[in-house]
Amino acid sequence: MEWANDKSKGGVLAHLERLETQMSRSCKNLEDPPRETAESDLGTKIRKLRCLRDKLRAEVKQRQARIKASTANAEPDQTLEISEQEAVGGKEENMKAILQAYRFTGINLFASGLSGKRTSRGVCVCISTAFEGNLLDSYFVDLVIQKPLRIHHHSVPVFIPLEEISAKYLQTNIQHFLFCLCEYLNAYAGRKYQADQLQRDFAAFLAGPLQRNSLCNLLSFTYKVEPQSRSFPFCARLLYKDLTTTLPTDVTITYQGTDASSTSWEEQRASHENLFFTKPLHQVFTSFARNGERLDMSLVS
Amino acid sequence: MDARRAEVRALEAEIAALRRACEEPRAPGEDTSRARKSLQEVHQSDSGEWAASKDLRGHLGHLESELLFLSTLTGINIINYSMKTEDLTSTENTEKSIKKVLQRHRLSGNCHMITFQLEFQILEIQNKESLSSVITDLNIIMEPTEYSELSEFVSRAEDRRDLLMFFRSLHFFVEWCEYRKCTFEHFKEKYSEAVRLPEGAASSCMVVQSPRQPGFELVIIWRIQIDDEGKVLPKLDLLTKVPQQALELDKNRVLETAPLGFRALLGVLGIEATLESLIKSLCVGENH
Repeated sequence: MEWANDKSKGGVLAHLERLETQMSRSCKNLEDPPRETAESDLGTKIRKLRCLRDKLRAEVKQRQARIKASTANAEPDQTLEISEQEAVGGKEENMKAILQAYRFTGINLFASGLSGKRTSRGVCVCISTAFEGNLLDSYFVDLVIQKPLRIHHHSVPVFIPLEEISAKYLQTNIQHFLFCLCEYLNAYAGRKYQADQLQRDFAAFLAGPLQRNSLCNLLSFTYKVEPQSRSFPFCARLLYKDLTTTLPTDVTITYQGTDASSTSWEEQRASHENLFFTKPLHQVFTSFARNGERLDMSLVS
Repeated sequence: MDARRAEVRALEAEIAALRRACEEPRAPGEDTSRARKSLQEVHQSDSGEWAASKDLRGHLGHLESELLFLSTLTGINIINYSMKTEDLTSTENTEKSIKKVLQRHRLSGNCHMITFQLEFQILEIQNKESLSSVITDLNIIMEPTEYSELSEFVSRAEDRRDLLMFFRSLHFFVEWCEYRKCTFEHFKEKYSEAVRLPEGAASSCMVVQSPRQPGFELVIIWRIQIDDEGKVLPKLDLLTKVPQQALELDKNRVLETAPLGFRALLGVLGIEATLESLIKSLCVGENH
């Protein structure tokens, strides 16, 4: 999609390019021998800088007061200024905490707030995944700031179409690249979670292990809905063609029991298909289990 | 000696950041140049880091740059964050080597013009085999509230406790809103006589009328919807407003089929080209 005003391209890529120049410059600085400065010179310099800093702090506070007064017409730029001023005035812990909090957006910096030498000329971005409130695995992508921008290394599983996504977006819109990758990874994590939950909590309902591919977008299993029953009359095949979703696009349930004439089986089969389309996999089986309990209760009473 | 040099560096970084905070807001290029400088500072202060890595103030400049970088990257600006933990491990749990911790998080910030305040709880259970982290409660307050599409989305996110999807969809939603606003403003500027924005550029409605035939109006409704899975999609519709006479003259039922034709055109040309061609068709004969 084209942007009438594509500032994200200018924003992130431009400052990564800037970084490249800075890296070569700072490398030169490290090689220069440290200059001997007299104690008193440093002391004077520090005093002057502190003075200037205090003056600027007061000025920024004033601006913040003015901006807060006209919040109704606040432009996005002004809001950014307020946060910047707060960040400078805030404590180190607060900023470190906020950096950590970015993981809840799905994207944050790997080992942010880090100290120590950074040898690779790049930025390491960490992508978090979750499914229905369950926080799942994280993956990282190490980007090297060069023209063209490239991925140095990453922990993205091989069956996620990383090449495709980077070919589409990496050079033109890093933001889009990361969010798209985030979508794919979250969908994969969600499908995997559903399959794992099914295997872990509802093994009794399955005849044998759940069959799945590494992308967890093709699942096949044989199951029953009545816990007491000894046969597994239903055969399911779930296909998730859209890799950015956690619900299947194709569901095929076949009845392979002996009582094929009865219409109630056909009704059940059809209703199961509908369930698998609309509810997460393990929740479908939770409702099977609950219905089974209800049946049991009616037998007892 | 090292500590003083480090203090000089830290002061210089702080002064640079303060100076930028004092600059007048300019065009949207403002935050890109700021982000550029911020990442420059990340590595400037970082190369000095290893000489004085324990220095607090040098660290501040470095952290600030990383924050700015992340907020530019995600489009989400987190301003405040705090967390409290509560140990819920019972004696029974300890015997089975199970540890339970409840975290209460508070987070606030903005995504462009939309501000949010979140409170959520995460329950961490550590047993012998694994560590599980589950969001057990999520409360979201958002302003402004005039984006009606958002309130339904927010309730869904709260119900599902899907924090990541909330941020992801919010980011895309806001980007689409910005794009819509830019597009409307662009057309308003280019065809100032034909295009009207009765509810402003940030709304979902653009009215096109031929300056020579003011009775004819094309109303373009551009909604931005968030579906069940959190996908953000634009939905455009065309409404026609014509005088009764014209309706009677319309033997080919062009006006009736216009909305469908509009949808088809969108699929072929995309949003900008479709709107442009629509406006041009009404302005036939004008000097554009």
